[in-house]
Amino acid sequence: MPKAENKGLLIFFYLCIAVFSVICFAPFVLAVSGSLSTESRIAAEGYSFWPRGFSLETYQFLFGSKMEQIVRAYAVSLTVTVLGTVSAVLVTTAYAYVVSVKSFRFRNVFAFFAYFTMLFSGGTLPWYLLSTKYYHLDDKLIGLIAPYLLSVFLMFLMTNYFRSIPHEIVESAQIDGAGHFRIFVRIMLPLGRVGVVTISLFYALQYWNDFYLPLMLVTDERLYTIQYLMYTMMANIQFLASGNAAQVGGAIIAPPLETAKMAMTCLTVLPIAILYPFLQGFFVKGIVVGSVKG
Amino acid sequence: MLRKKGWLGLLMTAVLLLGACSQGGGAATTGTNGSDSSSTDASGNEASGELAPAKLKIVLYGDESNRMKELAKTEFYDRIKQEINAEVEFQFLPWTEYAGGKTDLMLSTGEDFATYTDANYMVKSVAKGLYADLTPYAEATADLSQTVDEASFKAFQLGGKQYAIPVGNKPNSAEFYSVLIRQDLLEEVGMSEVTSLAQLEEYYDKVHAAHPELIGYAGVDARRMLLYDYTDRNLYWQNDFVALDEAAQDDQIINWFESEDFKNYAKLMRGWYEKGIIPKYAATNVPQLQSDWNSGKAMFWAGTAARPFEGAATISQAVPDAKLVNYFLGEGRPKISRGTYSTAFFVSSAAKDPERYVMFFNLLQKDQELYDLFAYGIQGTDYTLDENDRITRLTTDSLIPDWLLMNKNFMRFDNSVPDDFIADYKAWDDDAIISKGAGFNFDNTPVKNEETKLNGVLTEYLAPIGSGFVDYETGYPKALDRLKAAGIDKYIAEYQKQFSAWYAEQHQ
Amino acid sequence: MVQQAATRETNKRLGKRQAVKSGRLRTSIRKDAPLYVLALPGVAVLILFAYLPMSGLILVFKNYNFNDGIFGSPWAGFANFEFFFSSMEDAIRATRNTVMLNVLYMLTGTLFSVAIAIVLNEMRSKWFVKITQSVMFFPYFISWIIIGAILFSLLDYDKGILNQSLAALGLEQVDWYSSPWLFVVILVLANIWKSAGYGAIIYYAVLQGIDTSYYEAARIDGASRWQIIMRITLPMLVPSIILMSLLGIGGMLKGDLSMIMGVTFLNPLLLPTTDIIDVYVYRTAIRSGEFGFASAITLYQSVFGFILVLVANKMAGWYDKDSKLF
Repeated sequence: MPKAENKGLLIFFYLCIAVFSVICFAPFVLAVSGSLSTESRIAAEGYSFWPRGFSLETYQFLFGSKMEQIVRAYAVSLTVTVLGTVSAVLVTTAYAYVVSVKSFRFRNVFAFFAYFTMLFSGGTLPWYLLSTKYYHLDDKLIGLIAPYLLSVFLMFLMTNYFRSIPHEIVESAQIDGAGHFRIFVRIMLPLGRVGVVTISLFYALQYWNDFYLPLMLVTDERLYTIQYLMYTMMANIQFLASGNAAQVGGAIIAPPLETAKMAMTCLTVLPIAILYPFLQGFFVKGIVVGSVKG
Repeated sequence: MLRKKGWLGLLMTAVLLLGACSQGGGAATTGTNGSDSSSTDASGNEASGELAPAKLKIVLYGDESNRMKELAKTEFYDRIKQEINAEVEFQFLPWTEYAGGKTDLMLSTGEDFATYTDANYMVKSVAKGLYADLTPYAEATADLSQTVDEASFKAFQLGGKQYAIPVGNKPNSAEFYSVLIRQDLLEEVGMSEVTSLAQLEEYYDKVHAAHPELIGYAGVDARRMLLYDYTDRNLYWQNDFVALDEAAQDDQIINWFESEDFKNYAKLMRGWYEKGIIPKYAATNVPQLQSDWNSGKAMFWAGTAARPFEGAATISQAVPDAKLVNYFLGEGRPKISRGTYSTAFFVSSAAKDPERYVMFFNLLQKDQELYDLFAYGIQGTDYTLDENDRITRLTTDSLIPDWLLMNKNFMRFDNSVPDDFIADYKAWDDDAIISKGAGFNFDNTPVKNEETKLNGVLTEYLAPIGSGFVDYETGYPKALDRLKAAGIDKYIAEYQKQFSAWYAEQHQ
Repeated sequence: MVQQAATRETNKRLGKRQAVKSGRLRTSIRKDAPLYVLALPGVAVLILFAYLPMSGLILVFKNYNFNDGIFGSPWAGFANFEFFFSSMEDAIRATRNTVMLNVLYMLTGTLFSVAIAIVLNEMRSKWFVKITQSVMFFPYFISWIIIGAILFSLLDYDKGILNQSLAALGLEQVDWYSSPWLFVVILVLANIWKSAGYGAIIYYAVLQGIDTSYYEAARIDGASRWQIIMRITLPMLVPSIILMSLLGIGGMLKGDLSMIMGVTFLNPLLLPTTDIIDVYVYRTAIRSGEFGFASAITLYQSVFGFILVLVANKMAGWYDKDSKLF
């Protein structure tokens, strides 16, 4: 057994991954350090890995009087993400199962029906008209969830995971007289757990990162999500900085621009950075259970 | 079978659960709004006489401050209700949605609201039937038309109809025609003023020698400030492609990019770029220019009437003793104004009661008291006035944005603005003339395709030549080819035709 | 030995499937009913949020005005497409750039994602995998605007770190922001950096689902680590790679405007290679406020992508019937 070759290759692998990870991590460090720097030093000297002129000014500016609003926005985001992910995973796995059943005569019809929407869309105007005037999704929590319940991309991904489940297991269940519901819930979902966890992760990210639905459908600030809040703040800070809104009568606040961008990145990535290891724990557990059964 | 139903049930519950949540959210919303209105109804009704109650939705762009939120539900609400018996709801959208985006969707799907616009967006929207015709409600603007220039009204008319009501009245002639100099740097290198291009370049050379880390001009467009150095005409731009010579009393438009003036201007800019007055990075990172200026790392910028004190407030954070002064690089050509308005409000064509909206716009510029309320809030709580009527704001929260309301009849200055600045500012427009094209709105329908393609040629070929990033001699032949291919001749002919017709009408 | 084991597995599977199929035909309709129920929520979502709004495609051929509404507005024929196709030179360049960048993104992205997934799969140090996997996922969250700002501080001609290093080494400075072809490389690298971690998760999950007995058998046979990767791990990923590629091909003509805007700041000197369709539409139609023109081009992108997918799907079918999307 060529052990030396194995070791060498492995060390090479570790090295590559480590280097790539460092490259991926660097900008995040820049962002954290940038958000803790003063605007003038950043503008003058550029980004660095260590805060330039350490200050919490940017966070004070961002939170300022808006603490309450930000906390509420986090709560809305969390609610939308949890409810959205659970419902979307149910809808998606069910649809994916249908497409993955090889004996189902119309599975291609269903696959095509879904795929077609990935390519063609009617644009925002009819979508907005239907969502607000006919489905009445404006200013409702469900409006932030329902439109994303079936991501066709993730549905196909799930189909792929389902297909990799050994077919014998399904067959023996069928011989035992199990129907589709039973197979889906008792066999496919547990055995496709790695896939389920993966698409859950992606759905969670999609819901967490979205600012489009709140922008389109929400006017009630109690339903603002954290991403939407960040998006509006960013759009408006850029406007303030462009000089159009310069004020004559009163106090002028020069908004921290570069540092604000960095702080907002931190504020949206941070919860994910904290949650991710837990999600991964779940991930790994799913894998262990999956492999034992397999 | 039972089992199956169980799982079906699970799915159903999940879906119902979502439905229930949404219902809850919706109910809560209406609940609180309802109680707000009932508490104030009583006080509102007595004063407003025979006007039937109305509901108005005003869309504003930007951040809604906490104080604005409070006032919108209390003093603003009460006061508007009392004046015009209307319940006004303010909705804030991010700036990205201005003149497009969600504003367009709301208009196209027939929502009942009003917000502000510019002439460009107005022309396009009126063509699609999205704006209400406000001509019949001229009487409702009685107070506002006392404090806003008549020329401003004309700017928002199309075919004799008023489609938006202008707001604001401030000196804004010769925008970007002056050079805004860092006077502190100028004095540091032993100079006292800049009245010509030669002096401006001398200023650059001297400061560059002392502070090589500073950039020269924090912009990429200097066609206005350099006017005296490349042409004898008094040019005023209608858009990127079309200019007018304000010194000539005729209806001739100028095809800017094919003019001799453009050639001379481009060569000046090429010189600036090669010399380093415009930094190399300007071709890529335009926002960086602005940020360099704000952090005190640039020597000059394009000036406006208000920039000496507006800009100083920003720069002073990085350079506490920065002082800004406007200079013109020549003299003898009158300042040109597009009109003194800040912006203009339109009403969506689906609005049930456009007149009431117009009455609301009227309130914004009616008198000092209402202006103070909308721009600054409550005296004592949000601001105080000293014996000279200088304002000290007690909150940094912005209300109805005061750049929007800004009216020279009502606006207040704070203590940090020196008296001579205010005097200069107020006298800025004294020798200005209104552009001969003011009030002309080009209908682009016949040349939509050409205009769209021209924009592509502009961003790729002409803008870099105009900013000196590309040499005129090497870049222009290709740019001209593309300009012709995109249909510049047809575009200019159409523009000239419409402008001549309009011009003749004005001078009957 | 390994391959033999795999073939035996498949043969067994095929035989069983045949048997079940014939026995089930009679009861197929009754048996399939639950499938329709399972698909129902998904179908509803697609109809409500994709198919009904699709009626808006009609707008592309209309001159929309508010008073006549979506269906009453006068027909415009292909007028909304004219601005794009009447300047053929721009249309071809934009299409070429889009396809070129997308092909490069797909090839390099897949290569890196698959490589990372395989390498992670080889590692036995759980904490190392956990940490690196999280970290490689970070770039996915960083917006292109910020990536652009960071890249700018690297590539700026005068003050950029890269040029300063070159100068320190006595080499000639490079004007990155006026080198369209160099920028293709930069865009491709930026894309790998941003999305490889994300893609790796998808493939890594597939590998986690593989029956470990295959590996054990191979190891007993004395296969080297490299052989195991090439003979077991990689083939296991092929169906997923095909699937991801098929899904990607449909979007072959769609580009990421925010990426080009963020990274190149729409620098005119870079447009020869970075002027993708979305950028072109942005700086012509959207800049002019002609949103109708913009949606017309979206339809062009969709139809083109649709044709490509039909072809690619057919080709995937030649390789393996199960690889087809539909």
